[in-house]
Amino acid sequence: MTINWPENFARKGHEIFLSGLPIALHCHHYNMNLQKTLESSLGSEGSRLIYQAAEESSYDGFTSFLKHLPKINTVKSKLELASTSYQYCGLGIISFSQIGPQGGRIVSPHSHHVTGWLAKFGKRDTPGCFFSRGWIAGALAVIYEKPLGYYRVDELACKMTLARECMFEVTES
Amino acid sequence: MAIDTDKIVHAVMHGSRIREEKGIIPLFGVYLSMISVQYYNRISFGFEKKLGNDAVAEKLLVAAGQECGYATFQGIRSSREWDEVVKPMIERIEDQIYCFISIAIAFGWGDLAVQELVPGKKLVIRANDSYEAKGYLDSYGKADSGKCYMLRGVAAAFMDLVYGGEYPDGCFQYKAIETHCQAQGDPHCEFVARKAAP
Repeated sequence: MTINWPENFARKGHEIFLSGLPIALHCHHYNMNLQKTLESSLGSEGSRLIYQAAEESSYDGFTSFLKHLPKINTVKSKLELASTSYQYCGLGIISFSQIGPQGGRIVSPHSHHVTGWLAKFGKRDTPGCFFSRGWIAGALAVIYEKPLGYYRVDELACKMTLARECMFEVTES
Repeated sequence: MAIDTDKIVHAVMHGSRIREEKGIIPLFGVYLSMISVQYYNRISFGFEKKLGNDAVAEKLLVAAGQECGYATFQGIRSSREWDEVVKPMIERIEDQIYCFISIAIAFGWGDLAVQELVPGKKLVIRANDSYEAKGYLDSYGKADSGKCYMLRGVAAAFMDLVYGGEYPDGCFQYKAIETHCQAQGDPHCEFVARKAAP
């Protein structure tokens, strides 16, 4: 199914909405600065906060997407929507080809956070795609009609550490 | 030539629909993302609560906003899009700040306007519907201090860029305070940026 993205991306006065939810445009400088601030101040609790915030906003955002696009009603088309919306939002490329209701693996060859982190801070020693992990967990919970927090997403390989691609493992938490 | 905010907003809206093959939005010299404001508010105010020290959290979040504003708008004013769309509108050095404001509006950061600009000395920006103030009110109720950390840092960054000396050495030359905030029940948010104490 072809989605009319511009129709779902609208400005009302000074606010911007994507499928009815307010969004903001921010660049990699801010997104990476926030991540660094949280990680350096709170350690793993900071990365957990990024994960949870992304999971919650992705869960609510994807719920709103599906409400606005009722013709997208199969798991396959919902996974496709997740992939294209990730791309539409400038977050990168993500492939949901090895995923099912019990979990699976997800590959991302490119992402905003990887490109931004490497451009701003260079190589990391540990995986750093906390936003993407949370985003995936939230979207999959909506797609498979599970509650928020149902899935746990870990990052097995990360391009921020100069791996070839980011690989995420999804399990039931 | 007057600053044409509508033209700048249109250029951002048009450009933000372009994706390169990696799913990234390269626009105005930076990589843009479109993320729900709920995410940013959860991060900022969650950080504040978890750190348990509002003053330290505030300082760090304002600094993140200021450093971001400094690097972001330097990228923006060095871009091809700036040269094509914005530069022809600029007649005086101060006009840059009005153009930065138009871009911030285009980014969905709030309804912003310059209230006062004393070149090199003082900038007053007024904001309505800042997503930070709205988000705080919606989630936590009335605040006892200003909550627009990102916009506060960005207000100082605008002065840094225009009056703070050569990039990249001019960041944190100015400092902003939030004198009014809708999260506190004020009719609008207001930021005052002045030269930082040495």
